[in-house]
Amino acid sequence: MKAVDISLTELRPAPWNPNQMDETMMERLRESISRYGLVEPLVVRKINNQQYEVLSGNQRLEVVEEMGCLTVPCVLVKLDDTRAMLLAQALNGLRGEDDLALKGALLKEILSSVPENEILSLLPETTESLKSLSLINEMDLAEHLKAWEKAQAGRLRHMQLQFTDEQLETVEEAVSLMITKAKEGGFDNPNTRGNAVFLLCKFYLERRNLE
Amino acid sequence: MSAGSVMVSTTSIHAGRAGSSPSPALQSIRMQPIPFIAAKQIVVKHHYLHSLPGGTKLAFGAFVEGRLLGVITFGVGPYNVFSLVEGTCPNDCLTLTRLWLSEELPPNSESRVISVCLRYLRKYTKLKFIMTYADPAQRHVGTIYQATGWLYTGLSEATPKFDIGDGIARNSRSLAQALGSHSLKYLSERGLNVKVLPQIPKHRYIYFLDQDYRNRLKPTTLPYPKKETDESR
Repeated sequence: MKAVDISLTELRPAPWNPNQMDETMMERLRESISRYGLVEPLVVRKINNQQYEVLSGNQRLEVVEEMGCLTVPCVLVKLDDTRAMLLAQALNGLRGEDDLALKGALLKEILSSVPENEILSLLPETTESLKSLSLINEMDLAEHLKAWEKAQAGRLRHMQLQFTDEQLETVEEAVSLMITKAKEGGFDNPNTRGNAVFLLCKFYLERRNLE
Repeated sequence: MSAGSVMVSTTSIHAGRAGSSPSPALQSIRMQPIPFIAAKQIVVKHHYLHSLPGGTKLAFGAFVEGRLLGVITFGVGPYNVFSLVEGTCPNDCLTLTRLWLSEELPPNSESRVISVCLRYLRKYTKLKFIMTYADPAQRHVGTIYQATGWLYTGLSEATPKFDIGDGIARNSRSLAQALGSHSLKYLSERGLNVKVLPQIPKHRYIYFLDQDYRNRLKPTTLPYPKKETDESR
């Protein structure tokens, strides 16, 4: 099938298109089109003498309109309404799935020569996901578990408590009074509030023992 | 994750002690740690529960020829589960929370993956035991746990889930995170209508990494439950 250039004035977005794109993704699409151009033709069908309906590429149509393009390459298909809807669904839905290990290796290679901010402007990734995925195939199970075990040994214990507003006020007052002493240091625990609660409990226990 | 969650999501479960003499195909499966972000992506998409529980501590991937074809995760599991074994603390155990393997992997891969993970956990951590659950509602009896030598301790307590009106089934820990308390009395007195969603008990299995703790198991071990067949249903 050959792509033909069609004037934007003749193209209409499909009103039934269920595929939506949020603004973040639209921004990435704009970046991609402005950087690489419209590398994939739209898929359209003729709906009357002067108009073509876009079956695939409705978001790209929006972007090229914003950019002031006059024509875009389109692949023209001849389909009735429901077959057009079916093809649009097939084009949107029939995609492979990334193997995350292979994707990670690819991202690593890209990262080796393309700045991270450029990658993030085009791909739906975050700094964290980019870093994590690029290392996916490089971690050793034994080393990971050794490091995890070490981290567990040094991990501070959490205690979650629930208070009413009134109780919390009392607890906060007591903790804030003890904070100065907790700040004096001498604890293994770097959490000052934790140390303050510890001192309060210790104070209570010592006093209770005296009684 | 509540005790009620089901862990294994596979289309076919193959019995047999694959851990003992793995075939070359099984030996080609390489287990490696993977980022939680990757584990979550795969579990949400492929595991039938479509969620990675909060409290996930370890996530490993099953790699074959550079492809990631499976995920197994371990997490904190149900509240107080450690107390099933005398003289242990919460840090002594983890719960196998999710297992999903691609159909592209060879038969007995589930057993192989679990065996390798247990071997590494035994060798490189101080964990004493691992828990896991199989959901009878999914017609799971825990065949792969039976194949890998776990002890069966019967059906777990059916801890309910809670809906605070948003249609999400939360366990009591998540309920407390959402509303500050899991006391239904307290919440009801304050006009919060929490719907209790009864759950059915799950088959509970335990695997001792440290055999010294085997005799401290409080529940009695029971014969393995059998998978229902069409004839026996």
